[in-house]
Amino acid sequence: MAATVPAIARAEQNWDFSCNLDVNFESEEHALIAYTSLAVDKELQPDKVKRVMSVSNNKLSVHFEAIEARLLRASFSAFVDVLTLATKTIQEFGQK
Amino acid sequence: MKKKIAIGFEGSANKIGVGIVTLDGTILANPRHTYITPPGHGFLPRETAHHHLDHVLPLVKSALETSQVTPEEIDCICYTKGPGMGAPLQVSAIVVRVLSQLWKKPIVAVNHCVAHIEMGRVVTGADDPVVLYVSGGNTQVIAYSEGRYRIFGETIDIAVGNCLDRFARVLKLSNDPSPGYNIEQLAKKGENFIDLPYAVKGMDVSFSGILSYIETTAEEKLKNNECTPADLCYSLQETVFAMLVEITERAMAHCDKKDVLIVGGVGCNERLQDMMRTMCSERDGKLFATDDRYCIDNGAMIAYTGLLAFVNGIETPIQDSTFTQRFRTDEVHAVWREKEDLVLEG
Repeated sequence: MAATVPAIARAEQNWDFSCNLDVNFESEEHALIAYTSLAVDKELQPDKVKRVMSVSNNKLSVHFEAIEARLLRASFSAFVDVLTLATKTIQEFGQK
Repeated sequence: MKKKIAIGFEGSANKIGVGIVTLDGTILANPRHTYITPPGHGFLPRETAHHHLDHVLPLVKSALETSQVTPEEIDCICYTKGPGMGAPLQVSAIVVRVLSQLWKKPIVAVNHCVAHIEMGRVVTGADDPVVLYVSGGNTQVIAYSEGRYRIFGETIDIAVGNCLDRFARVLKLSNDPSPGYNIEQLAKKGENFIDLPYAVKGMDVSFSGILSYIETTAEEKLKNNECTPADLCYSLQETVFAMLVEITERAMAHCDKKDVLIVGGVGCNERLQDMMRTMCSERDGKLFATDDRYCIDNGAMIAYTGLLAFVNGIETPIQDSTFTQRFRTDEVHAVWREKEDLVLEG
């Protein structure tokens, strides 16, 4: 699809592809720890992929938008890897 | 007073390591795990990061158990900020950010190259040497001057370890424990020296041309029985190590320093150490080198260097605890070395 998009449409940057991810943590504290840890690393191509995160109660919500499905998939999959790592670290070492 | 204790995370290449040390350089624990690829293959960022993801948390547990240190006793959490491969670096950074919040401990970001130097200095007792830092990703001749580790010579293309590793792939040598180790063993059986290009350019070296040359000629030479794989390993080692000794000697003359410290993964090669030792003794100097426990990437070197910075008031706020593929040795202000200078002068 990307190959057929004219240059003008490219310049306008249609954020046609999006997805959401919600993760429930044991406590708001843990959700905030995950949020703070993952917010440090910005998206590598901010002109092509956007990631917005927020925390409410125990829930970490992540919203992705991208101009290509391929980029959305790549960003999402890389994010899930590090999110899983952060969650495992919290589970393993967060016991009071 | 309680001894200062740091935990350090290293994961910039194919090793993931967690070390716990005290300020005097005592290593309380230093477990690591290496991602070993099949013969003929190198390691790629994504696969390497997955390896680190699988092993980092068990390594933290093992380090805490071996050292008998509790999280409360730790003063700071250190990690490799760079240089290295992006995805693998991120693994350490993420774990460190989470642990920093769970344990309420400050973070210290560490330059990987500086960590090799400080680990080498504390293990060998070398005071102010010219440092040859040789690994799979870096080749630099370094000396300390006025607050920074300055780079006097370096590779202008690939690292010497990269050249050796990639040649090991041509011969399909095992990557276990490391391709360089297997080249070193095979080189001991080499009898004939094959002429290879010798590429020293002023203070710098170049290895990519040598690699291309040996890659393109090896197959033909082996097929025609002109030489053996052992001859090629021997010739490659002799050539690239001679280049490294040459630029190290030139840096010594320039900085007026007598001693040499070799650090980095290629630094545990005994042939390189022998050649360097000969050169040093001819200049009335000494060679300082370490074995694979300290030469090869490990968590303790990050913990120790981070702790040096920490006791001098350096901390990394969590929002700045990023990682970067490029991070030059001379970007770091080595404040702890300035304090040493003051003590000596005073």
